[in-house]
Amino acid sequence: MMILFLLLPAIIMFSVSFMKNSKVNNLLSISSFAILVPIVKLFMLDKPYHIWGNYLIADELNTYILLVSSIVGIGVTLALMTLKKHVSISPKSYRKFYRFFATFWIGLTLSILANNMGIYWIGLELATLSTVYMIKTNFTKSASREAWNYMIVGAIAISLVLFGIILIYASAKPILGEEAMNFDLLLAHAKEIKSSFLFEIGFAITSIGMFIKMGFFPMNLWLTNVERASYYPVAALFSGMLESAVIVGFFRFSQIAKEVNYEHLFTFTFIYTLFTIFMVSFLIFRAKDFIRLFSLSGIEHMALIVLFWVSGGVFPALLHFGAHAFLKPALFLSTGVLESKGKYKIEGTLRGYEGKRGKLFVFLVSLFLLAIISLPPSPLFFSELYGFSAMLEMAKINKYLLAMIMAILFLLILLSVIFYKFIDIYQSMKYEGEEQKKEVYTTEVFALILFALSLLVLLLPVSINFLKGIV
Amino acid sequence: MIEIDFFIGLFLATLITALFTTRLYRLFFWYSLNSLMLGLLALFMGAKLDDNAMLITGVITILIKAIIIPFMLKNMSEKFKLVRQIKSTIKVHYLIMLIPIILVFTYYLADPITHMIGENSNYIAISISSLFLSLLLMMEHKNVAPKIIGFLSMENALFLLGISATEGMPMLVELGIFFDLLMAIVVINLLFKQERTQ
Repeated sequence: MMILFLLLPAIIMFSVSFMKNSKVNNLLSISSFAILVPIVKLFMLDKPYHIWGNYLIADELNTYILLVSSIVGIGVTLALMTLKKHVSISPKSYRKFYRFFATFWIGLTLSILANNMGIYWIGLELATLSTVYMIKTNFTKSASREAWNYMIVGAIAISLVLFGIILIYASAKPILGEEAMNFDLLLAHAKEIKSSFLFEIGFAITSIGMFIKMGFFPMNLWLTNVERASYYPVAALFSGMLESAVIVGFFRFSQIAKEVNYEHLFTFTFIYTLFTIFMVSFLIFRAKDFIRLFSLSGIEHMALIVLFWVSGGVFPALLHFGAHAFLKPALFLSTGVLESKGKYKIEGTLRGYEGKRGKLFVFLVSLFLLAIISLPPSPLFFSELYGFSAMLEMAKINKYLLAMIMAILFLLILLSVIFYKFIDIYQSMKYEGEEQKKEVYTTEVFALILFALSLLVLLLPVSINFLKGIV
Repeated sequence: MIEIDFFIGLFLATLITALFTTRLYRLFFWYSLNSLMLGLLALFMGAKLDDNAMLITGVITILIKAIIIPFMLKNMSEKFKLVRQIKSTIKVHYLIMLIPIILVFTYYLADPITHMIGENSNYIAISISSLFLSLLLMMEHKNVAPKIIGFLSMENALFLLGISATEGMPMLVELGIFFDLLMAIVVINLLFKQERTQ
């Protein structure tokens, strides 16, 4: 019953998108807002809660991620209400956008709640395929090219994930039979897996597939190109929701890999993420437009989440994940307004907003821009502090303390490059260029308020205690 | 079993032939034949292992991948007037050298894995090489249609890996993968439709 309750808003949204009535847009928005209701209900239930046998199980980790994703979904819906005022989109394309948003949501829910590797993959593939069409709603040549590129890169990434899953399944099937597909059983019996090499190869291939989907090194340009070519709500969906589905998979797989051979897991992930942050920091330094800047910054933060997670810092990883999931879509949605006078125009973009609404918009965008570079009291500041501490704690146990201190110093240098670029851009937005009159709509400000409030909630002691309780 | 070796050989042969094809409909034909071999392989393995789920999967593979998808792709290419002359960006004599290199390379790459899996160990090397050959098919063409066939061939290679390395994945997962494949075709159709409108 719960599964129907969870998917019902998406099914209604999908059905309503076929109606051609002029009032259909309101219905689409309402059905989109309704996605939060069953998730709040699920959040309050005792865990673990079996939604669909052993296939879908809600625990603290995945309900938290699903709750964050649903809030992002609502924020994106609020911004979608004024999409027509910023870009030219036909009513038919708008309805189709929602149709694929509904499919995306079904895929996302399945993959986040999955306790089965196969179901996880099916959900992820469904979510990936539905975003392909969303990119194409922008009627430009570059969007068309990027939609096909995404289809191909996405297919390769997702195939690698399936390839790895098959090898993991093959490694555990002799001891668990068909149940070897289940994450919980795999975790419980990880130490009994005889062919650990086969498991590790499978894990490495799956991780590479997931890292490609998150835009990690060396495939760190496709994501920025796709987000640049599509409409800004699509970029927000990518950063706030699709990446959540990918990262939850990484969390699950790495928990098992940790039991099999922690040293291998850490070395592999550490080198991969370090290279990614190294590449991305210099790409950010050269970024000339908002979307690319935010997109590359998204890759940097996902790499940090992965790094904190494998270092044993579950709390900082989840705090960082939640804060990033709210901040990045907020910034992407702001670009719809910020770029109203030109794509590559950064100077003076925060000037010219009048009235209370305009001033509030400027305040919120400034807040998000400074929060994304981890200025206190941003949740990212605390998560990085705790994350680096977790890395040091882990190094102390494994006697790599000096190497880890050097690595953290190197990371801090790279992060300071990013910090410098964001501050430079912020100053340029606020103090340079000509002042031109610009418009911001109520629903857009509401979306930003929603994200700001969600960020504040993350900092409440009750939220921090909840996150610390997730193992 | 000699039948399994025969079908797996034909599976690889059809994929290699597809790499040299310069006509779009012929490429669909080779993909269809590739899927047919895969379906028959699943049927024979299902019969050998007395596994009903694998038998059902084999039948669905033949129906969806060998008949419905090639038919839909042919319809799409007629409807959207796709270019039927598909030239490879890699010259034929380089391809002739590249393919055996991939086959030998993957045999050694898969060697540590094949030692861990008792039965059908050689099939794993073949499925991994099929994966690389499918990637090559995607890379060697500039047109979209052969890239789609490359993507579908990758699915076939993974399916082969699934039945050879694990003696079949759970039925629900197999059905989900088929559903996603059909969804991919729907999305591809929509992308072409949108491009025509543009």
